Amino acid sequence: MKVIKSIFLLVLSLFICAATFGQEEVIIRGRVLDKSEGVSVIGANVIEYDKANRVVNGTVCDINGDFQLKMKDRSNIIKVVMIGYNTMTIPSTAASNLTIELVPTTRQVGEVIVTARKRDELSLTNIEERDIASARVKIDMEDMRESGALSAADALQGKVAGLDIIGASGDPGSGSQLVIRGISAMGNNQPLVVIDGIRQQPINEYSGGSEFDLSSADQEDISNLLNIALQDIKSIEVLKDAASTAVYGAEGADGVLLIETYKGKLGKVQFDYSYKGSLQFQPRAIPMLSGDEYVMLQLEQWHNKEGVFDVPPEIAYDKDYVDFYNYSQNTNWLGAITRVGRTHDHYFNLSGGGDKTRYFTSFSYIDEKGTTLNTDAKTFISRINLDYFLSKKTLFSVQFSYTNERVGNNVQLDDGSGTNRTRNVREMAYLKAPNMSIYKFDAYGNPTGEYFNPINSYQGSGSVYFNPVAVANLSTDDRRSNRLQNNFTLKYSIAPWINFRETLSFQFGGSKSNNYLPYNALGNDWLEWTVNKAEESNNINTSINTETQITFNSPFDSSAHNISGSLAWITNQAQYEWMNLQARNLPFGDETATGGRINWIGDGSGESRNVGALVNLNYKYKDRYLVQGIIRADAYSLFGANNRWGLFKGASFGWRFSEEAFMDNINFLGESMFRVSWGVSGKPPETGRGLPDVTYARFATYESGSYNYYTHTGVVNTQIALDNLKWQSVTQTDIGLELSLFNDRLYLEGDVYKKTTSDMIFSPYYISSSSGFQNVPYFNGGELENKGWEMMMVYHVIRKKDLKVSFNFNSSHNENAFKGFPDNFNKEKDVTIGDGKYPLRVEEGQPVGSFFGFRYLGVYPTDEDAYARDASGNLLMDYAGNPLPMTYKDYIFRGGDAKYADLNHDGKIDLNDVEYIGDSNPDFIGGFGANIKYKNVNVLCGFHYRVGFDIVNRNAINTQGMNDKNNQSKRVLNRWRVEGQDYKDMLPRAFMDHQANNLGSDRYVEKGDYLRLLNLMVTYQFKNEFCQKLNLRSLDLSLSARKLFTITNYTGEDPEIGQDASDPYWIGEDESNTPPPRIYTVSLSIGF
Amino acid sequence: MKMKILPKIALIIPALVLSLSCSDWLELEPPNGLIREEFWQTKEDVESAVMGAYHTFAAMDEALFKYGEIRGDLVAGDNNQAVDERQIMEGTIYSENSMCNWSEFYKVINYCNEVIYFAPGVQSKDNTFTDYLLYGYLSEVYYLRSLAYFYLVRIFKDVPLVLDPSLSDNSNLYLEKTDGDVILEKITADLNEAYNWATVDGYLSIFDNKGRATKPAFDALLADIALWTFDYQSCVTHCENIERFNKYEIVPGQEWFTIYFPGNSLEGIFEFQLDDNLTQSNGTYGLTNFNAFNYYPSEYALELFDPENVDEFDLIRGLGKSIKEQTEDVFIIWKYVGMFGDNQTSRPNSIQNSANWIVYRYSDVFLMKAEALSQLGRFDEALAAIMEVREERSLDFPENLVNTPGRYEDIILEERARELAFEGKRWFDLMRMGRRNNYSRKIELITIMVRNAPSTQKRILQTKLTNPLSWYLPIWETEMERNKNLVQNPYYNF
Repeated sequence: MKVIKSIFLLVLSLFICAATFGQEEVIIRGRVLDKSEGVSVIGANVIEYDKANRVVNGTVCDINGDFQLKMKDRSNIIKVVMIGYNTMTIPSTAASNLTIELVPTTRQVGEVIVTARKRDELSLTNIEERDIASARVKIDMEDMRESGALSAADALQGKVAGLDIIGASGDPGSGSQLVIRGISAMGNNQPLVVIDGIRQQPINEYSGGSEFDLSSADQEDISNLLNIALQDIKSIEVLKDAASTAVYGAEGADGVLLIETYKGKLGKVQFDYSYKGSLQFQPRAIPMLSGDEYVMLQLEQWHNKEGVFDVPPEIAYDKDYVDFYNYSQNTNWLGAITRVGRTHDHYFNLSGGGDKTRYFTSFSYIDEKGTTLNTDAKTFISRINLDYFLSKKTLFSVQFSYTNERVGNNVQLDDGSGTNRTRNVREMAYLKAPNMSIYKFDAYGNPTGEYFNPINSYQGSGSVYFNPVAVANLSTDDRRSNRLQNNFTLKYSIAPWINFRETLSFQFGGSKSNNYLPYNALGNDWLEWTVNKAEESNNINTSINTETQITFNSPFDSSAHNISGSLAWITNQAQYEWMNLQARNLPFGDETATGGRINWIGDGSGESRNVGALVNLNYKYKDRYLVQGIIRADAYSLFGANNRWGLFKGASFGWRFSEEAFMDNINFLGESMFRVSWGVSGKPPETGRGLPDVTYARFATYESGSYNYYTHTGVVNTQIALDNLKWQSVTQTDIGLELSLFNDRLYLEGDVYKKTTSDMIFSPYYISSSSGFQNVPYFNGGELENKGWEMMMVYHVIRKKDLKVSFNFNSSHNENAFKGFPDNFNKEKDVTIGDGKYPLRVEEGQPVGSFFGFRYLGVYPTDEDAYARDASGNLLMDYAGNPLPMTYKDYIFRGGDAKYADLNHDGKIDLNDVEYIGDSNPDFIGGFGANIKYKNVNVLCGFHYRVGFDIVNRNAINTQGMNDKNNQSKRVLNRWRVEGQDYKDMLPRAFMDHQANNLGSDRYVEKGDYLRLLNLMVTYQFKNEFCQKLNLRSLDLSLSARKLFTITNYTGEDPEIGQDASDPYWIGEDESNTPPPRIYTVSLSIGF
Repeated sequence: MKMKILPKIALIIPALVLSLSCSDWLELEPPNGLIREEFWQTKEDVESAVMGAYHTFAAMDEALFKYGEIRGDLVAGDNNQAVDERQIMEGTIYSENSMCNWSEFYKVINYCNEVIYFAPGVQSKDNTFTDYLLYGYLSEVYYLRSLAYFYLVRIFKDVPLVLDPSLSDNSNLYLEKTDGDVILEKITADLNEAYNWATVDGYLSIFDNKGRATKPAFDALLADIALWTFDYQSCVTHCENIERFNKYEIVPGQEWFTIYFPGNSLEGIFEFQLDDNLTQSNGTYGLTNFNAFNYYPSEYALELFDPENVDEFDLIRGLGKSIKEQTEDVFIIWKYVGMFGDNQTSRPNSIQNSANWIVYRYSDVFLMKAEALSQLGRFDEALAAIMEVREERSLDFPENLVNTPGRYEDIILEERARELAFEGKRWFDLMRMGRRNNYSRKIELITIMVRNAPSTQKRILQTKLTNPLSWYLPIWETEMERNKNLVQNPYYNF
């Protein structure tokens, strides 16, 4: 709170400053002319400066060269500034009606443009942007400001070839997953984020491994991208090849995103306000059985298993049963927890500046309400960018940014499987018996007003089969986080050809999570550890980063040879602290508690350090041949002395063939380049899910506290020492071609690449438990290769004054394959087959995420059909001459059971019948879009597609298996019931507690291909005259729709499945998170 | 001038950073964690490592109950019984069954191996760490390690024999199996050596004397191992050693329940100490209380304790003692739930999870001795040993006892069932009988085991159990996947 207060004070003081200058107002009018030709100069800046040379006010000349300036103070001076002319200073005593004649500068305008070419200041190299000979893409974010995009990641989706972005879930505050050029590592593949040249410290959300929430683990990783207002982002640049990422040495292996924010511009104060209001609609849910249909199915399941059986009272519809009214409803659980979401997004910014100081400051407030009951997020973001020109040679910049975020969610509960997997309310709503009531009725059918939450229901324990509406409404799971960043940069020009830069950056991230489960949210015995359970965790992360850089250009003037380069020294220090406490049986409201008890307390802290040194050299010959090289050495405190230093390098070569003399005749060719690059970059291990904190992972660690024996202190070794931990390194080669054709009308870029990850980090790497440990938490070994191509195209179809039409397209293809495994690595995992289980296998030469399983061939219509047959179709007989039935383990298949391909014709469905059935890597990903601008109307649309991948529809496994007490989808109404039934798309029979009909087979593997209209936006820009009447600079109104429709054959809720390969056996499963909603947005932006 | 100073300052900063020694700057140790470099410094460190091993073993009480009972015939499963456990009970055992996960035993073994590896070195750092203390601690961890291996061999037959601690990712973490008999020889030798260093009752409190390895506890374990390997003479010797210490007494019948509540009775030789208030909770309460719907006494157990069947026979350790009639005709296991043997008073909330896990007690020793003696043909002495227990309990003995090893075997088995019901002994007793004299009484074992199986499973189970290798559990699938050097146990190797 203190921080917020100080921000407001700062804002207030800015306004006060502005107000104190409001003394003697005088209006000055004039016309600006070109002195040599006598014509009027359009668009010159007329700026009022006070005695301290600060900009007070300013205006721009209109089409006739006329201006009108309301001077704040008569004694101030006025400067008239225009590119191509010498700046003219008008003394304070001048008349109020002026004719100003500007003298053209002796330099040619063309030269001005050359010097205005931007240098790549944000990165550690010293090179002009157009000369960069490595694979990188820069996206201008201007267009995306008014779209309904929720975050920068959202806005980037489908825009960059080779960048795969997958939304984690549709809940407020959840993030996205970014993968550049395929999965290159196990676990986190998120690129490094660099904002305005400052490397963003990843938040270390380590909380001691207790109740670590798997579904949110990835969301934190990209919080850096969320914690910046979309409107503040000027551009995002994606570095893809190792020659460009080697600059970031140990952390660049997964690619780098360079984000540039707006800076203050020379001119008078500008003030912008924009508002976006959105409505979010959940896509139509999978239709589930009604209460009656569910009960019918359950009776059938029991009957098929046990023949005659005792009908449990919950599904017997017995009017004498005390809970009759509570078990005879038709509840739509999904409908009960879903609502229409909405978002309000307010954004202000203020910018301006003079010769000495330029500033940009912004505030944004976003209030989101999610489509699932009781999920919301409120975010406040502010940013101040200040540049002080201390002298002609010295620039001092300060950046300050602050984010405050509060995300409210529903508590997730253990799913009772003993694997620490949690279940959210949406998943529960799918499973919950629909014959159960949301609210409790008494024995006579009178509503009691309480949630119906039995300790044990027909489905099972009340803490596993909870009432999702009760948990959504009563439980709280809040996460509040603050992020603060302060950067100071000093640039000093030692000589015209040599510059010095020192950057110091402080980052602070703090978060606090609370969750609470009141007694009435779950059906529970009062003494259970989940009753009135509260948990609180705190995390604090701080980091200090320094960068010291000397950049130089060739000191001699030569038109043919051009040398530039830089030397840099980088240090990072990151510290963290966390605390976690859980207690139960706490007093709640007016309920008396039985005495609160602590379930656990944990805390921890740590520090990691990193130093790096960098040399970069660029050479250009005749503006045609470009050679660039970089070497960086990095050392990390994570590693033992033996593996501490890593060397990263990159080299690239570019040939701007369009500048060659022999190409002069080819008129349609614009500036085009052929480039080749090679490089090595690295990646340190990251704290894995539920694994020991990586900062000190190399130490054998002992723990005390919970290992006491009677009254004696007990200590045990909980973590094995890692003597071999080191970097994971990525070597990448890239060949690219950039073509600009037909007067820049058509731009084409294509790349082919090969990327090899070696010393791949497994986290964890499982070892034999006879060692006393389950795993080595971090282990280097194996090789993974990604190769592919990508292309992008921008085509400006029409470029007239009133009508502009452009079209863009990008596509990429990536092939991923294992190239080697560690010595003791087992290529098979969970080879036991069973209910909904897929045997997990990896093979050299095969990609991450291949599915293996049975071939599903439909349903046996009759018992006779279930007899085993040999390869030629003859019945297999036993010794007595009776036909042998098909079997799975001890189970004998009968009519109505699932038919699987018996590949070896032995009459047994077992591991020998398992084959390759799919792959979760897309063949092609990309997007296309169009931008049409007609007079004041701008229409923008963007599509995103992923093609050629398969998904295991876990949701279908859970809702079509018909072998447990979970609710099932309406699809099961089409099931086998009577001997001899045989019709199209029939599902197997219902059978309680049985695996055989629900084995991991291609029945649940579906094509995930989709094409999605990601964004459709119409903007109307009000005419200047209209704006002036309202005393405004600009006024835009836009309507947009996000994720309006998706074309797919996938039958699950949404085919956008994360590429979250936390281990080599990963396969892409649809775990039914909240799917991304359709969002309709109205936005209004006003410039003052 | 002012402008010129700033860049100079800026140049000094990196120069300062550079001048710091890089390797020192990067050498960071955890601020609040305990790392090996800081541990193993004092005798207290050694003691706490020993206690960590005890704690970990004690925390396995629930597993020890299951390993010892569910394949036997004294317990039956209820609704909340885990699927994996039910499958074990029904004899449909596949290697993916989580009961085959041996990792907790190996945790204990690794902790013990650490002490054996590091403790001697501590003497040079801590002058007060005397030989007496060092060897005392060593004897305790040798005891725990041997006990863990004894369980493993009885459950899995051949298992990896790990004798060195897993220090780092450079250690050999993928060991092969060692023959179970070789392991038993090894631990017998270890125990015999460490026996000399163990105390008789030199610990400071009763909890220590019952809860930590003492010479009598060594003898009890050695007797048990000897009985398992059919070395009857050695078994008798160790049992007699315990008698000679003259430290224990058979608890009289009226006070029989004090063995379980408050525990640490006169009879207790080695009991894992559990106390919920010290957050060392037992798992057996959670398994056997009425609301757990997990395990309750089997039909056979009810028969054993039914006063109508067996005169007033076993009221002293029967109804209201070993079991309790919760509601009409619904019985629960009472040893870990009750506070008194009155069929009524349950443990209050605060100590519900505080029941010790008894590994060895005096009556067990007499019954082991009786078993060994009867197999040696020393029937009178065997009878005397049985009567040592029964007389103190004020119990008669059935007449017409024929002096054959088989008859004595049956009698002792039944006596052990009554005395040690639900204490994780039954399955191993049955296995011992089935293995004896080259599986000569295999059929009896199978009959007993099938007794408890559901009717549909009886025939299948009977066939399966004919192969004695099926009495052992398979190696856990996950373990097989992680360690390529393991070979699946023969019966399950298909």
